[in-house]
Amino acid sequence: MELLLVAAIGGALALDATSAGQFMVSRPLVAGALTGWVLGDPAQGLLIGAVLELYLLVSFPSGGSRFPEGPTATVVAVATAGAMAGPGSVPTGVAMGLVLGHVGGMSISLLRRLNGRFVPDAPGASPRRLVASHLLALGLDFARGAAITLAGVLVGRLAAPHAVAAWPLGEGDSAGLLLVGGAVSAGIMLRSLGGFRRRRLLFTAGLALGLIGIRLLS
Amino acid sequence: MSRVPRGALWSSFARSFLIQGSWNYRTMQGSGFAFALLPALRSIFRGRPGELDASVARHAEHFNAHPYLSNLALGAVVRLEADGEDGDDVRRFKTAVRGPLGGLGDSLVWASWLPAVSLAALALYWLGAPGWLAVATFVVVYNVGHVGLRAWGFRTGLAEGRWVGRSLGRAALGKWTERVRSAAALLLGVLAGTVLAGTGGLADAGPTWGVLGVAAFVVGDLAGHRLWRPTAVVVVVVVAVLATWGWAS
Amino acid sequence: MPLVLLRVDERLIHGQVVLGWGSALRPDRYIVVDDQLAESGWEQDLYRLGAGDGDTFFVGVAEARERFPEWRAGAERSILLTRDVGTMLALARGGLLAGESVNLGGLHHRPDRKQVLTYLNLSDEEMHQLASLDAEGVAVSARDLPDAARVTLRSLLGS
Repeated sequence: MELLLVAAIGGALALDATSAGQFMVSRPLVAGALTGWVLGDPAQGLLIGAVLELYLLVSFPSGGSRFPEGPTATVVAVATAGAMAGPGSVPTGVAMGLVLGHVGGMSISLLRRLNGRFVPDAPGASPRRLVASHLLALGLDFARGAAITLAGVLVGRLAAPHAVAAWPLGEGDSAGLLLVGGAVSAGIMLRSLGGFRRRRLLFTAGLALGLIGIRLLS
Repeated sequence: MSRVPRGALWSSFARSFLIQGSWNYRTMQGSGFAFALLPALRSIFRGRPGELDASVARHAEHFNAHPYLSNLALGAVVRLEADGEDGDDVRRFKTAVRGPLGGLGDSLVWASWLPAVSLAALALYWLGAPGWLAVATFVVVYNVGHVGLRAWGFRTGLAEGRWVGRSLGRAALGKWTERVRSAAALLLGVLAGTVLAGTGGLADAGPTWGVLGVAAFVVGDLAGHRLWRPTAVVVVVVVAVLATWGWAS
Repeated sequence: MPLVLLRVDERLIHGQVVLGWGSALRPDRYIVVDDQLAESGWEQDLYRLGAGDGDTFFVGVAEARERFPEWRAGAERSILLTRDVGTMLALARGGLLAGESVNLGGLHHRPDRKQVLTYLNLSDEEMHQLASLDAEGVAVSARDLPDAARVTLRSLLGS
């Protein structure tokens, strides 16, 4: 039952990423919090979502290019990690998520190729055929997201207990490892914002604000 | 202005949220564009099924733009079709409009607005704000911009028809992009500070992790996008090796 | 070198041209030669959006032929664009573009065209027009972006 629910969440959030809505509730931060809440551990879901959001900061569903799929990856990451307690659960979940993001991205490309076969082109596009094929494509995308999620969670839950039980690092080192990877992404973000001198000044000002903020709050 | 009833306009606007539902490499957004347009076309060509079919077929041809800004083209096409414009003229309009709408939208929304709001939410999270607050901030703030842009586009398209270029020029989306990017740079700094020094952050993990994190940031800044995939691969491999090595011992 | 690029590209002013070629060549202005666009204010508004802060103007073939020597001698760096091969050939007639190079950017799929490169589709008529361009003393080659490989006319027509 829980597996079906998780798969349905994966399918629904996958739709939001490109096909329907694009309210960006499919972003890892939201998807992680939602999945964690449904599975009974909102804090862990949010942490995994935040880490994956950091990784996927510089990735977005632009045009025809291939991109890693965030929502299914995040749902799988949270469901994998949630199956096990211990400091290894979050890194194992995040790693599963990064792999699944790649698999999800490939499946989107495949579906887009498949869509091209039945979506009507100019002369054959009667209103009825147009609506039918559009709804079919939406249904297929939901099914794709749900299937990828289901497969990912099954594999993740099979492998995770071993990995998590044997995890050699403590809580702090595990977080450190993941955040160093995320720091690369943040660096790429700064570069992609362009406008070098001005943006770097702003970044430095923000850095100071952040450090002061943390000091004041702690 | 246009003689299309409100109901049909609302229906087309609502369907615009599904404009990428049948995205494909052949016609890209073409079929989705025609799908969103359909309620308006049905009311424009009421009692003229032959013309309706011809119009739907024309609009199912290749089209692509940023999904939010596509609404400018959608609104304008409703106006052009309602005014009884020639099919070839409408096609010329779509050909000319797709380029700027794609370019402006990608840089404004995907490369600026989305990361800026995302950075703000992440900074809140690592500052120690309640999780629901970070998530709610992201969803609400992001979508005020998102839905606002779609609604503005549709209305502007309806009002201006083929002259949307003037409004787009006046809206100075390029300037907004630059402003949002500056805000994103500031927010990225705040986030870096909180991830470095916050609870559960790099400094908590130990000084070595802190130094490594700063180094990783600088390397990412110097190398740019091409480093994204290698980084993900390295993290996955390190986690896999640790898990297996720990398991064996 | 006031005319820094002459290019045939169906999309005219778009990302590849502005970001790719624009950042390499640093033009002061874009000149679009097209009889239909020169008369169409709303289309000009749309294409102009792609150029950002760059100065952009639209002229018909006859006016372009008249002003070409002035552009070539002027101090401003210009990128000149047409959206089809025919317009470039009309501009080149009588050896007006002799000694210049023409770059082929994007021409999309159409039923009467066959694919020559990923970004370039040509009809039989366009192949002939390219050969005529060559006969007018123009060096024709295809390259979508400045750091991509240049494909010569001979290998384009040979394929």
